[in-house]
Amino acid sequence: MSFYILRRILYAIPIAFGVSVVCFSLVYIAPGDPLQTVMPPDATAETIEIVKKAYGFDKPLPMQFLIWLGRVLTGDFGMSISTRRPVFLEVSEALANTSLLALFAVPISFFTGYVMGAIAGCFPGRWIDRLVTGAAVFGVSLPNYWLGIVLVIFFAVEYMLLPATGMGPNGSTGFHILEWSSARFLVLPVITLSMIPVGILSRTTRAAVAEVHNQDFVQTLRAKGLSEWAVTRHVLKNSLPQVLAVMGLQFGYLLGGSILVETVFTWPGSGFLLSKAIINRDVPVLQGTILTLSLVFVAINLVVDLLQSLIDPRIRRA
Amino acid sequence: MRGIKIPGLLQRMALGLGAALLLGAQGAQAAGTLTIGMTAGDLPVTTGNPDQGFEGYRFVGYNLYDSLVLWDLSGAGEKAADIKPGLATEWHVDEADNKRWIFTLRQGVKWHDGCPFTADDVVWNMAYSSDEKAPQFNAAQFAQARAYLGTYAGIEKVDDHTVAFTTKVPDALFPYMMSYVLMISPCRAKEVNNDWTQYALKPSGTGPYKFDKTVPHQRLEFVPNTEYWDKARMPKQDRLVLIPMPEASTRTAALLTGQVDWIEAPSPDAIDRLKSSGMQIVTRVYPHNWSYQLNFVKGPFTDKRVRQAANYALNREDIKDLLNGLMLEQYATLTPSAPYYGKPVLYKYDPAKAKALLKEAGCLPCKVTFAISTSGSGQMQPLPMNELVKSQLDAAGFEVTLQSMDWNALLQVGRGGVDASPEISAINISRAAQDPFNALIRHVWTGAWAPKGANWGHHGNPAMDKLIESILAEFDTTKRLALLTQLHEMMSEEAVLIFVAHDLNPRAMSPKVKGFVQAQSWFQDLTPVTLSP
Amino acid sequence: MADIAELHSPLEAFEEQAAPATRVRGYWQSVAYRLRHDPATLIFGAAVLLIVLAALCAPWIAPFDPYKESIVGRLKPFGWRDHLLGTDELGRDMLSRILYGGRVSLLMGVVPVLIASLTGGLLGIIGGFVGGRVNTAIMRTMDVFYAFPSVLLAVAIAGAMGGGIGNGMLALTLVFIPPMCRVAETATTQVRALDYIEAARATGASTIKIIRYHVLGNVLGPVFIYASSLVSVSILLASGLSFLGLGVRPPVPDWGLMLSTLRQSIYVVPFVCALPGVAIFITSICFNLVSDGLRAAMDVRM
Repeated sequence: MSFYILRRILYAIPIAFGVSVVCFSLVYIAPGDPLQTVMPPDATAETIEIVKKAYGFDKPLPMQFLIWLGRVLTGDFGMSISTRRPVFLEVSEALANTSLLALFAVPISFFTGYVMGAIAGCFPGRWIDRLVTGAAVFGVSLPNYWLGIVLVIFFAVEYMLLPATGMGPNGSTGFHILEWSSARFLVLPVITLSMIPVGILSRTTRAAVAEVHNQDFVQTLRAKGLSEWAVTRHVLKNSLPQVLAVMGLQFGYLLGGSILVETVFTWPGSGFLLSKAIINRDVPVLQGTILTLSLVFVAINLVVDLLQSLIDPRIRRA
Repeated sequence: MRGIKIPGLLQRMALGLGAALLLGAQGAQAAGTLTIGMTAGDLPVTTGNPDQGFEGYRFVGYNLYDSLVLWDLSGAGEKAADIKPGLATEWHVDEADNKRWIFTLRQGVKWHDGCPFTADDVVWNMAYSSDEKAPQFNAAQFAQARAYLGTYAGIEKVDDHTVAFTTKVPDALFPYMMSYVLMISPCRAKEVNNDWTQYALKPSGTGPYKFDKTVPHQRLEFVPNTEYWDKARMPKQDRLVLIPMPEASTRTAALLTGQVDWIEAPSPDAIDRLKSSGMQIVTRVYPHNWSYQLNFVKGPFTDKRVRQAANYALNREDIKDLLNGLMLEQYATLTPSAPYYGKPVLYKYDPAKAKALLKEAGCLPCKVTFAISTSGSGQMQPLPMNELVKSQLDAAGFEVTLQSMDWNALLQVGRGGVDASPEISAINISRAAQDPFNALIRHVWTGAWAPKGANWGHHGNPAMDKLIESILAEFDTTKRLALLTQLHEMMSEEAVLIFVAHDLNPRAMSPKVKGFVQAQSWFQDLTPVTLSP
Repeated sequence: MADIAELHSPLEAFEEQAAPATRVRGYWQSVAYRLRHDPATLIFGAAVLLIVLAALCAPWIAPFDPYKESIVGRLKPFGWRDHLLGTDELGRDMLSRILYGGRVSLLMGVVPVLIASLTGGLLGIIGGFVGGRVNTAIMRTMDVFYAFPSVLLAVAIAGAMGGGIGNGMLALTLVFIPPMCRVAETATTQVRALDYIEAARATGASTIKIIRYHVLGNVLGPVFIYASSLVSVSILLASGLSFLGLGVRPPVPDWGLMLSTLRQSIYVVPFVCALPGVAIFITSICFNLVSDGLRAAMDVRM
């Protein structure tokens, strides 16, 4: 088993390498001179020389990549063009704020999606199944940022129940999760973010529960005389690993794909940082954010795979 | 990273939990905290001359810092604000040498960090933003301050309370320029070893507000400076909080839900809704231009007929309707109430004439690219306004491409000049017209060619240059007025800008906000504002 | 597995069970049969057709010019002066802009999926058929792109290249190539392992013939099903890119861009401002349900 774990971890390394190659090349697919994209327009000649040396723009492309990789591994993601702060600092602060959203969205969407999917899977074909399936399709077909706008119109503007934007009266450093005055800012963004995972999870759960129901051991349990509820508990337990795997991936998607929701709610997370970097053509921040988010996603995939193999021995043999 | 702590999520959650447990609930904002939603896309820098345009000066620059010369923002705005003594109590030009200005400095002023304000500090500050060889030189500040140091040649300390500036050419308008150059504390700079990233987190000036804390990109908090030298301008609030909100709908929502007490530039469409919710809306004409500076080096606008065509093509009444009346139509560089308005030629709406001019100039369809911003200080509602301008110009025979970007990015493009962006035909940066130099001269003078100054398009006209030089050398106000009027009329004759709108400075505030007096200026005095509970 | 009972002969039923990826005579007839008896899919399929037709015929059925502004008629509610769906922030008719916007949105939804199916499908077939090192190389490269969340990758590529409809479509295509490749590769690998392929080779059939007659037939099904489910994702992603300003430039009507510009006016006519989102939603859900129905009809393994 440890061989599988080792193999899986080793496999992640070339993936991470490939990811960094893609992020590196972002500077080069951007229109214009690559040097210009990493510097403020009013940079003095001295600054230009320093940046040139740091990036190695005069060297061949593979050399440049290695220089960039070297700097990245030491945590030097360069300087933001617009704020002139280290990119690493910007990204890590922003990622912490996005993680807050994801950490709330994950249990909420898992619980909701699982319950919905489980009910639908236990009563396949009946009206509750159709309702849940319909709701799931609804969830994945709705543009979630549009739902966010609609929620803002109803809850914030029309009925003034919840705040419309931002992270609270004291910003992210003064964010006290245990108090309603701060926590109320989480409500709408989390609901909006949860929409797609709920849809996906309920579908996955429904399929998993239905599949487990059809397996032989369920018949055996019934034959043994277990009550229907006890059988259901067994079924649910067995369908859990699949669903957990998908949930893990969804967490990764929440971290990486939150840009639209964060833009609507002006939530100062990594997605919002990314959208500002795009508007400002701040390529170092763009690179740094994307690299961090995708590496986090790779790490989450790795963890999910390893956990799955621990729970489900069949996977290890695959 | 030298000593910068990077708080991770776990640390932050632990801190939050700990603080919550120890300090108890931190409930609603304390009474007397004024929270403002700005149009800026990010917090203005605190390292001296702010970025984010004049909004940066309005909320950060003139609050944390003073300049030698300040603007008089009292007086309920019956007339345009003018300059008054700041950190300098008096100034005059040396009779023996009209390129030399003597400034007498105010005594008994202290920096926020406690060090005394002296003449050496002024000399240090000038080197901070202009002397590349000085250890404290800050390249970013150099870029910000350059536009105001066009004629600045040097400075010397005369004695502990007097400094003398020398200018490259005789410049009668020099004191106006000095009003935009803010003074930061050399004491604090030395403390942080000239590390400007560190300095930005603990700035120190002489202004009515002191820096308290900041969350980068999110909020900036000031508290009153109880030792401020101007006792008449002691802040009456307990705390001032600044939040960047570049989207108009976000600002409106924030005001309606009580997240902020005051917003800049509400969307004109939301005004009715704001009023019906009990918000106060204040507007006032002020020396502001929303126009396009043109590319005089390359492209269709090098031809005067094309420039005139663009001006004839605009239906400014329609643009005013787009803004629900919240603007003044602009037909010349200044508003008719300006003292040196004169009798400029006015380009009233005439699309047929526009098309004829374009045909004559041989530019039909006339392909042009405009650089615009998505929001920003004085930019009003840039996206819908530009779309309307584009459609009006397109109807007259132009083919306009809009290139939009963040406000600060547009300002950087503006500072870079037409050489850095030759493919752009016009740039839409709203300009302050508070003083004669900024109102007229900087648009057309060869001495202000970007990146040295604000003449983005490198407009050059020898007759105008001569006129400008005589203005700068004219120390008699009445004679200067006549010359300025001449310049204003010439600028309209040459159609050096595409004239569109004068803003009316709208802002919306909650009914709790009291004591605000709107000055006829880009800058506003926040110190007398109080919040009723 | 009630569907199996609806096949035409027990022999077919046996063959289907034994070799799930094999096609038999009558397969397409059985697909058509299942579809005919699935009213939900038929209805939504008709809806998709309607949406596509409406977008294609926009120049003829739109009541107003989508670019014509009217300052006096800004932000009007439903039904104001012949404007069935109101007007936007510059006075342009919403119904016309939604119809025209459908063209851009459908274009950005369908074209990337189409190109990705062709390219990714081809790569997957080659990889699956040739196997070995080539396959590993192709699949590992795809895995690298799989390592990005799709929204992030699309935004990264479109954002770095500076936006615009071309770059947006390119970004979306690149996002969809890896999954299409994977689907095609899986299907091809399964087919390749089947005995009758060996038999075909033994009788001297050339590789191209084998691919054409045996592999393609089996791979096209899953690829088509998967592609149909990607269209709705593509429409959502494309609208998201436009919402962020990375799609078409104003004043071209596009649902995502319209949502973004109308956001500023939610205080005046909230329902008009929500309209483009409704359009995106309806289109996306119809494509989704049709794709589900197609899968139920075509993928007998379900």
